[in-house]
Amino acid sequence: MDILYIAVNILVFLLLAPLFEGVIRKITARVQSRQGPPVIQPYYDLLKLLGKQNLSAGTVVFKFAPMLALASILGVIVFLPLGYQANYLTKYADVITIIYLLTLGGVSVLLGALSSRNTYAAIGSSREMITMIMVEPVLAMTFILGAVKVKSMGIAASISSVTAGGYGASVIVMMAAYLMALQAFVGRQPFDIAEAEVEILEGPFIEYSGPNYALFKYYLILKQMFYAALFVIVFIPPFKTGWYGADVLIQMAFVLVVFIGIALMGATHPRLRIDQAQKFYAVLIAASLAAVGLSVYGI
Amino acid sequence: MNIDLYGILLSALALLFAAAVVVPFLSRKRKLAGWMNFILVAAAASMLLNISFISVFQGGGETTRVIQFGPVGIYFLIDGFSGFFIGIISFMAIMSALYSIQYMEHYPDYRLWSYYLCFPLFILGMIGIVTVDDLSIGFTVAWQVMTIASYFLIRFEYREKGNVRNANKYLILMELAWILIVAGTLFIDGVAMGDSLHAITAKLASTGGSSLLAVYGLLLVGFGFKAGMFPFGQLWLPDAHSIAPSPISALLSGVMIKTGVYGIIRTFFWMVPREGYTGLLWGIVIASFGAVTLFIGTVQALKQHDAKRLHAYHSIGQMGYIILGVGSALVMLNSGSEFVKLLSVIAIIGALYHTLNHTVFKGLLFLSTGSVLYATGTKDLNKLGGLMKLMPVTAVVAGIASLSIAGMPSFSGFASKWTIISSDVLAGSQMMFLVMFGIVALFTSAITLASYVKFFGMTFASSGVEWNVSHTIREVPATMLIPKIILAVLCMLQGLLPFLYYGIFIDIFKNSDGSIIQPMFSGVSLDEYIVNSVMGVSVTVPGIKDLVSSVAVPLVVMLVIVTGLVFAWLLKRSGGAEEKVAPTWLCGYQDLNDKNRYAAHNMYSAFKKALRWTGGNVKK
Repeated sequence: MDILYIAVNILVFLLLAPLFEGVIRKITARVQSRQGPPVIQPYYDLLKLLGKQNLSAGTVVFKFAPMLALASILGVIVFLPLGYQANYLTKYADVITIIYLLTLGGVSVLLGALSSRNTYAAIGSSREMITMIMVEPVLAMTFILGAVKVKSMGIAASISSVTAGGYGASVIVMMAAYLMALQAFVGRQPFDIAEAEVEILEGPFIEYSGPNYALFKYYLILKQMFYAALFVIVFIPPFKTGWYGADVLIQMAFVLVVFIGIALMGATHPRLRIDQAQKFYAVLIAASLAAVGLSVYGI
Repeated sequence: MNIDLYGILLSALALLFAAAVVVPFLSRKRKLAGWMNFILVAAAASMLLNISFISVFQGGGETTRVIQFGPVGIYFLIDGFSGFFIGIISFMAIMSALYSIQYMEHYPDYRLWSYYLCFPLFILGMIGIVTVDDLSIGFTVAWQVMTIASYFLIRFEYREKGNVRNANKYLILMELAWILIVAGTLFIDGVAMGDSLHAITAKLASTGGSSLLAVYGLLLVGFGFKAGMFPFGQLWLPDAHSIAPSPISALLSGVMIKTGVYGIIRTFFWMVPREGYTGLLWGIVIASFGAVTLFIGTVQALKQHDAKRLHAYHSIGQMGYIILGVGSALVMLNSGSEFVKLLSVIAIIGALYHTLNHTVFKGLLFLSTGSVLYATGTKDLNKLGGLMKLMPVTAVVAGIASLSIAGMPSFSGFASKWTIISSDVLAGSQMMFLVMFGIVALFTSAITLASYVKFFGMTFASSGVEWNVSHTIREVPATMLIPKIILAVLCMLQGLLPFLYYGIFIDIFKNSDGSIIQPMFSGVSLDEYIVNSVMGVSVTVPGIKDLVSSVAVPLVVMLVIVTGLVFAWLLKRSGGAEEKVAPTWLCGYQDLNDKNRYAAHNMYSAFKKALRWTGGNVKK
């Protein structure tokens, strides 16, 4: 049974992630008074890209990077206790492993970008890395907030314990910081600085096309869904129905709400410069540090 | 014990001394001298590895023994703890000696007699530091041999501008560190020349409170100089490590600075009286130094674009992790709670584990950069780029080393950083500052990652050598590749099988008598708390049964990632798309050239600007 939960994790993410991406595109279009593509457009995009010609820069790292990116995000997803249910693999990792694994995806993007030899890709990867350094601590501290409460770094234990003692000041501060960082986690406006289509032409992905780009695209939308789902699992109080399928469905409904928020936020905010964003992230880090400090004292 | 460890030790040291006497006479025949040096050093090092093996694995550590050198008697001590350091020093000595044979061909204008005179003496000095059991005569001899030999090795390229000055600075500061350590012992009541550490410890008990502060303070600063602790490390470490020939840089960063860690652990865990010792205070001091060192050192490293300076600053940063582990262990050991006390075991294991890992991956990084320097003649990241196709083996091993130092799961740095960070965060539930240190360490490892993405990306990926050096760069010869491949394999093993190494470190502390942490290792049965989980480590602390406190299983992570890769590969192939190599596209009106490429110094400029206050800035 435990093994089955892993399959559910993977399938739910692989199947629903493009849909949520479609929701974002639809809402963005509506906010901008456009008709917008159909909600299932991202599925078409992926399928089409998989069949197109694959232009390569000729190096091994360039070809390997998209596969590693997708593999790393899938690696993170399998450990997630979706539907409040720890699966067979959850006990083999703790939150530090998860944090490091998440950076592995970012690293593959950067390595792919740098080995493409494109100048814009290098600019984009430099920005991507700064964003990673500055927002990853917010994620780490969300986990640590739970970990110090329960004295365990196990994934299931620390994730479910963040809100264990009710919504004290520390949890509220952390939740606010996570929400503010969410746009940066998923690379949406105002923090889509690394890709910045109209400025540096998709940055790290400029040289990618066809199936390689499809893998990167899938990586991005899966990552986006992971961060949204994590918010739901960590901060929304559990509505345990007792039936696993229903729990997963309820969580997905909340994820949809989070995505609507992401879309509205993204559609109404202009992009920041990297140095402006950096100051913003610094405030978030300070706030999350304060939250962890408060939680040690049980506030 | 049937085997006389001290006998083997003395013969190995004698052999090293003989190498220093004989090989310089051969130095006109450069290759021959290199091979002779390698053979003699390897012979001595295998004897030393034998000592290390016996004292670590068979628990055959011995008690302190006085050995007469003419009229003076010097106390020596080989236990599991010094055995570990003997092991890493002699292992790296073999790697470095093998690498030197070909590498020194790269300096045709310099005569090699001084190099082959000082190389064995340098090893001899380091072995001396970790085996002598006093802080006066034997310590002074070992320290001076190590310092003076390494001084001449560092100033090897004395015709380059600034090198002699930097080497002199190194010499002066190391002598200062020596003065501090020896002066520290003078505050002990009734201390005499040649006292063994046991005698010193006994005399410390009767030493007054304020003198005790002076003793420990001076010793911490003295050994801190050697270990690269902030702010002392910044004064000498980057300059010295970046100008030395690469095999020597690998020894300096890989093992020499570890003798500082050896000194700190010996001082604060062994040389302590039963009463009047404020371990909690010193633990907090050391852990704070560690946290500051790892953050500042790593941020300064991010700003470098000279590859060897970058590695050198990272040595400071990584030593910060080790010092943080040592300090945290001391804090936890002196806390009131049983839960936190048990975590001190994990923290000290983490410190030693990271010492081992850092030796291997930093040695590998310096050797890789040495190979790049050998093949291209430059170590400036702004000029390099695109070596992946030209030097594939070096690229792969440098990639493994970069992922290791950045702490990617299933590479070596991850296991030890995980150990240190998780113990700090868990203990943080009762001591707030420890959780903050843990978070700083986690944040810093993302900066390490950034720095090594830059190093790898700007050396092996991207582009640049075709304009700045030439199109015809060749991979380095086999004698320079073999040591790197061995180290790369070790990097993988140390990352994949953490439980194996945990076992070794537990044995080391269990079998080394006299430390204040030994009761934690032998008193409680650790099998219940530190559990093998598919060769990974799973920690469960008492009080909260059935709840895993922290767990890292690199093998499973590796398996998951490989499965993911297979899935990604299948997905990629599913559309049947054809593949074509295309030139870089720069909006159609220009080709890539040296003027419009993105150079290393541009990377992360906004972040570097925001952290200007940390120092270590580089002019463009």
